[in-house]
Order: sequence, then C-alpha cells, then structure tokens
Amino acid sequence: MNYILFGVAGTTYAMRSDHVLHMEMVEHVTAVPNAPAFVEGVVFSRGQVVPVINLRARFGFERAPIDLRTRLLIVQTQGRRVGLMADEAREFVGIPDDAVRPPGDAIVGLSGNYLEGVATLGDRIVLILDIREVVDALPTAAA
Amino acid sequence: MKPPENQPAFGAGFMDDYFAEAEEHIVTVRRSLLTLEGALGSELPAAVLEELFRSCHSLKGISAMVELREAELLAHHMESGLRAIRNHQVALTPVNFEALVVAGRTLEHVVAAHRAGSPLPDIEEPIRQLRALATPDGPGDSSSSIAGQAAQAAPAGAPLPRWKVTFVPSAELVARGVKVDTVRARLLEIGQVLRVIPKVTAGGGIAFEFELETRDESKLAAWREDGVAYEPMPVIAPDVPSVLTPGAPSEAFAAGTANFVRVDLSRLDDLMRLVGDMVVARARLADTLERVEEHVPFREWRALQEHNAGLERHLRDLREGVMRVRLVPVGEIFRRMPFVVRDLARDYGKRVRLDLAGGSTEIDKFLIERMMDPVIHLVRNAISHGIEPPAQRAAAGKPAEGVIRLGASTSGESIVVEISDDGAGIDVPAVVARGRAAGLAVPEGPDDTRALLDLLCASGFSTREEADRGSGRGVGMAVVRSTVRELGGLLALETAPGRGTTFRVTLPLTLAITDAIIAQVGDQVFAVPQSAVREVIEVDAAALRKIERNELLTYRGGTLPIVRLSQLFAIESEERPRFHAVVVGAGLAAVGLMVDRIAGQREIVVKTITDPLLRVDGISGATELGDGRLVLILDAPALSRMQAGRQSRSEGVRA
Amino acid sequence: MPIILVVDDSPTIRRMVRTALAGLSDATFLEAGSGLEAIETLAVKSVQALVLDLNMPDMHGLDVLGFLRSHDQYRELPVLILTTRGDEVSRTAALKAGASAYMTKPFSPSALVSAVRDLLQPSTPLRAAQP
Repeated sequence: MNYILFGVAGTTYAMRSDHVLHMEMVEHVTAVPNAPAFVEGVVFSRGQVVPVINLRARFGFERAPIDLRTRLLIVQTQGRRVGLMADEAREFVGIPDDAVRPPGDAIVGLSGNYLEGVATLGDRIVLILDIREVVDALPTAAA
Repeated sequence: MKPPENQPAFGAGFMDDYFAEAEEHIVTVRRSLLTLEGALGSELPAAVLEELFRSCHSLKGISAMVELREAELLAHHMESGLRAIRNHQVALTPVNFEALVVAGRTLEHVVAAHRAGSPLPDIEEPIRQLRALATPDGPGDSSSSIAGQAAQAAPAGAPLPRWKVTFVPSAELVARGVKVDTVRARLLEIGQVLRVIPKVTAGGGIAFEFELETRDESKLAAWREDGVAYEPMPVIAPDVPSVLTPGAPSEAFAAGTANFVRVDLSRLDDLMRLVGDMVVARARLADTLERVEEHVPFREWRALQEHNAGLERHLRDLREGVMRVRLVPVGEIFRRMPFVVRDLARDYGKRVRLDLAGGSTEIDKFLIERMMDPVIHLVRNAISHGIEPPAQRAAAGKPAEGVIRLGASTSGESIVVEISDDGAGIDVPAVVARGRAAGLAVPEGPDDTRALLDLLCASGFSTREEADRGSGRGVGMAVVRSTVRELGGLLALETAPGRGTTFRVTLPLTLAITDAIIAQVGDQVFAVPQSAVREVIEVDAAALRKIERNELLTYRGGTLPIVRLSQLFAIESEERPRFHAVVVGAGLAAVGLMVDRIAGQREIVVKTITDPLLRVDGISGATELGDGRLVLILDAPALSRMQAGRQSRSEGVRA
Repeated sequence: MPIILVVDDSPTIRRMVRTALAGLSDATFLEAGSGLEAIETLAVKSVQALVLDLNMPDMHGLDVLGFLRSHDQYRELPVLILTTRGDEVSRTAALKAGASAYMTKPFSPSALVSAVRDLLQPSTPLRAAQP
C-alpha cells in the first residue's frame, strides 16, 4: 500500500496516496470568519474552492507561520475535496500491510483520535491518519 | 434468465448513466400512458403506442445490463403486453390500461428504490396483471383500433406534393454539423417524412433518400449547399427497392425526432466554467491595462481600452448565450405532477385538480434537477395536509374537489415558483403547540409567517406521518429550505385559515457569473452580489443612534440597522468617523453593511461553497478576483436575517 | 489502430461497450445512436469493425446489416450483433443475414473483448491489456 509521508510539528504522518489528489505550495489562504478554529480558510485549487485544515491546529499543536516548506495536500474523500496543511511533505513510500499495527493506547495527545494505524519504517515511527476522521466536520474535540 | 458469467461488478460502474437514461424512458412511459388514457375507447395513436413500447424495451435492455432484475422483469412484461396490444391480439380495455399504469409506476419505484438503497416494492402483482393482459381473449379483437398504423394516409384535403430528397453525407458536412439527423429534422419541420432509405451511389459513396411530403419547396432549394438535392416524385410512387432483409422487422421510419440536441449537463458546466475563466482573464487584462496606462501612447491605449470594452461586451453576450442553452422550461418539473397528484389524491382519499401555469418559464437545468424533489414534497404536503377530505370541504361550502396550483414566472433576475392550494390553511395553533413541545422558537403573532416557516422547517419538527409517506427519499421541509438556500433562493409562505396555503420559491436566474460590489473590511476583501444591493451610502458615524445592542441610521424616512461586518466576522478594523454602508435587503429586512472601503464593482465568477467545514452564516461562496486571490461572497439575505435574529427579543432564535 | 463503431440507441449501453472494449489497447471508438447515423459514419470514416444493436428506433439492425452486405465496400466489414436476450431474432437468422458474430445482452465484458478481438484478428494483430 502506498502512502505519502508528511511532517506536522516534528512528527511524521502518513496518508494513503490514493486519497491524495495532489500537493501544492501554500501561497495565500483566505480566512473564513466564524469557521471552526482548525479551518485555516479556503484556497482555489484547480478551479475549485477547497477548505484548508491546519493540521497543527487540528492535532492540538501551536500554529506556525507559513513558509516555503509548508505544503497543502489536496485529498478527496466521500465526495469532498479538502486541503490539509502540513509543515512539510516528505516522501512517497510503500508500506507493507504487515508493518502496520493498530494505534493502541500508546499514542497520547489529540492526534490519536485521527489515527487508523501506526507503522515502523526502519527506525522511524509513522502515524497513519484516518482521512475521514481528519476532515470530519463534526466537532470531535475542541482544537 | 441466466445471469452473465462472472464480473458482477461490471454493471455497477454505470449506475449514473443507467439512472439518467432510465429516468428519460420512465418520463416517456408516463407521458405516453397519460396520452393513451385520453384515447381509451377510441382510436389509439400508433406513434404513442410505439414510443411506449420502445421505452419499455430500452428499459428492459439497460436494466438487464446493470443487473436490476426486477426492473428488467417489469419492463419485459410491459413490453409483452404492449406487443400484444400493438398486434391487435388484445384490446386496451380500462382494466388492461390500469395494469400498465400500475406496472409503470412500480417500475419507477423500483428504480428509485435502487437509487436510494431502500427496499423494493412488490413486483409479483403488477406482473401477474400484465400476464393476464397479454393473454389474448379471443381471435383478434378489433374493439380497439390503432390509428395511423397503415402507411400514412394523405391528410384530408388535396394530396401534398411528394419529393425525393437525397442527402449525401461528407466529412466536411459533418464537421459543419450537418448530419443525416439534422437534415431529417429540417425536413420534418417543413413536411412529413414518409421514408428514409440508405443507398450506395454510382461512385460507391453513400446517400440517404428521403420521401417527403411538403409544399415548401423553397426551403429545399436553400439547402443545396448542405448536400441536399431533390426532385419531384410521382404521386403514385413505384415500388422503391429498399434494403430489407426478408422476414426482418422493418418499421415505417419514425418521424418523431424533434429539433433538439441531447447534451450532457456536465458539458454545459464545462462551457460555463470556460466562460468564467475567460471573464477572469479579461479582468486581469483590464487590470494590466490600467497599470500600463502611463507607458503607452494615448492613442494606442485608447484603442486597447476599446478592444477591452468590446471583449467585455462579447463575453457578456457569450455568457448569456451559454446560460440560455442551459435553460429548460419549468414545465419539465410540471409534467410529472399530474401523475403525482393523481396517485397521492387516491392514497389520501382526496379529490384534487391540478392547475399549471407558466410552464414555459425557463430555468437553469441545474436548478430543475435540484428543485424536483422539493416541489414534489410541497405538492405532497398540499394534498396530505392542505386539501381537506371531500366531505369536510362540502361542509365548509367549498367544492368537493380541491385545487392545487403550480405556477412559475420571472420577476427581474429571479424566477418565482408558487405551489398553492385552496385547502384549510396551516393550523397555526397546532403547529405552535407542537413547536413549543419540541422546544423550538415559536412565532410572535398571527402575521409572523417568517417564524412560522422557520418552525415548519426546523429539524426535529416533521411528523412521523410525513416520514412514512416520504417514499424513502427523506425530503422534509428542512431539506426543501436548505435546497432553496443552497441555490441562492428564498422560501416564503402565505396561509389563511380555511382558505389555503401558498409556498413561494424565489430562485436567482443567473447562476454562475454576476456583478458584484467589492468591499474591504479590515484586511479582508468581500464581494456582495449586485442584485442584492439596493445602494451604497456614505455614513457619518456620529449620525448613528445606539438602541440596546443595535446601531440605527435614519434612512429614507425610516431606520436602517447597521451591521458591523468587522464585529460579525471578528475582523480587526479601525474606527472611522465616516464609512460606507452597503444597503442590502428591502423594506423591513433592509440592513446596511458597514465596510471600511469600497474597492469597486466587477463581474465575478461565483463558486458556491458546499463543504460542511465552511458552512458559515453570511458567506455563500467565493470568487477569484483575477489577481489569484480568493475572496468570499457575502450572502446578503442571510446577513439581514442574522441581524433580524440579533434584534429579536426571543432567546434561542437561530438565523 | 482499429476504429470500432459502436451502434446502440442507449447511451448507457454504448458506454458499457466502450468501457468493456477498453481492454483492446489499440482500438479507438466511434458511436452512433441509430442505424442511419451508423451508416453515415461509415460513409465519412474508415471503420474496421461494427458492434451493432438490433432493436433501434429508426432502422432495424438487420436492415443496416442487409444494406452493408449488399454492397462491395462493406461486404467484408466485421459486424458483431449485440442484441437484447429474448428478442425474436435468433443467432441463426443474424448469421444468415451476414453477421460475423452474435452476442446477447447482458454480456460479459471478457466475452465481448474476446469476440471483438477475433473479429479484428485477420487484418490487425491487437495487444490486449491485462484483463
């Protein structure tokens, strides 16, 4: 199974590559007033208006300024197109299914709610995100 | 029937196409049945019977391909029954007709159930009735005659001149859009096409020979450049050798294609998007022009400006042209209503007449698709709750037959669709009591129809009765309202006890491209659609009067509440002694939106915002202003509602 | 690069046929919604094979086939009749009228691919994509 790896606040996360439509650098995100706090705003991507979720905010980390390494991963799920803003995008890897374990109680912190598994790649630990939980609009826990 | 070998998932990928095509055939089935109903007991129009037969056949074929067995079976048995009728083996008695109607309706429900994933209706009974129909009751029943099955008889009066019209297709003609179907459509416009026969010409090419009856020879001459040649035919035509295989069905070629082109709605969406891109590109050009003004000799710059203006005009025309292509008559929604009304009236034991008006009013195809369910729901409500049972109506001195009126009209840049009934009106006390019991906000007085509508549309309000009548589609008043809002429209209600109820849906005609006022609040830029703007005024901060939490301005003999967008949207903004207010809404609903700066007016391409994460009151969409930045579009009616909500004294009123 | 003309009055079926035949990686497709349109297309384009429905509104498939077979230019054109099961025309009748192959709907995509590939075999070798 192929994944895209990306970094948020020092931790490496992964998402199934078949959910990711493409990646972009972040230029300008238009703020949307009164949207949930973890919604950074909206961008225009390939002709569509796409909401941007700030993953740092979503996972309970402090926000960081946007820089040249910040990446927007445009994902598609359940008929919605959503942008996920990460500190950096790392690489595209194949992770064998048997290297993935269920998240378990070992993961503390907010991001644990959004995981569908954990994998070990060499000496790295990679947290695999459940995309549906991440983009779910209903409040799970205040970010 | 044996299912196809393996790969059961193959058909599953075509469900969208299937549903779209099935829908068309189902509509034809209903329309044909309705027409045939009128002809029962007299001559049945062969063309209608044929069309009905074909639709059932097609439905059978595609249902089999996507493995919807129940639909396939129903269509198959309908087809058999119709074949027996067409071949004069069986008469179309009222009983037989009813079997067809029941089967048709069941077929429609089966398809809808598949679409919704809900349980299928029983198909055994309709099929049993159809089987009984298809069994001939005796040797060739001639009690129902079928009109027009013989070769088209000459119409009463002098026989029309006949022509042999030859059309030779070519790649060049095809590229120009002139094809055999185009030619046939043209010929149908000027007369009757008796036959179309393909031929191979002496040179080995292909030509189509039409036998045409018409007086309008002049048109034929005009089409010479389009590959059309013609010559008169003797009135008694000699036997034309046509390419028929003995024993194979060769039917009189149908003369029924209307002059329409079937277009995928997604292609029209693409076209619209392309036009939108051009609008943005032209805006960028205009911006650049302004920047280069001082570097270009005046005469050249003037010329550039004129070209730009011309481009803007052409684009506007193009935009309107594309929009017109997307327009379909509202009658498309209306035409299924007679059946809906007939069935529902029967179900609820009411007598109802349906009056339709303004069916030729045109509406964007996209809107039609979205409005179909809400309109049907409102009609259903009118029959189930609005119109009283005949006895009750009689007791009230009303005719036993209730009337439901569906009307459409345009008003400026909007289309208005009204659904009204002459029933008992909304039982306001009962509704209010139910609302209170559910803990919802209730209207203040008898005239507060807006709050009444809010209550009816509140989720948590719909009755269980409504839920189980709802044919599995889950359309309640809440969905009606949210659909209307999503389309940028308004829902309104009028009701009078004992007299009836009217629902009015107002929808914007222009969907995608509109003029807007661009305004700045703090460091954020917004667009307000021009159609919602009454005017833009300059306001002296000192002239504002504060009453409770509201700021009011004396305006045109009344008061205008001022909405500080900076406050509503939590944007940092400086206090200014003078500012601009964009006045939106009308009458009592008017408000002035306070902004820091008006940046101008321009055409914008509207992109609606649909993602649940972005559902913010007061924002309806976004647009790209041409410099690559995204700007939010304000929802003026929502903003004035929000203001009204804040002004209202009751607690917990949601805007 | 064989060009295959798919003739059926149902756009859904046309799309299914094209999708099923996408397994023939070399082939390109044309579509026609009626017998007349099909003949017109043959007049202006060079086509290597025909997938032909029978029960169409303006001209029956067998009439189309009869027309083709009675003229030198199209006598050898491979034609696969694809018809709704239960229709009156039998395989024998279709073959007698000049069909090169005969299948009923609903069809299995792999069977269709293999039948069309056979049709095209004599003149054009085709590489089929992995099923």
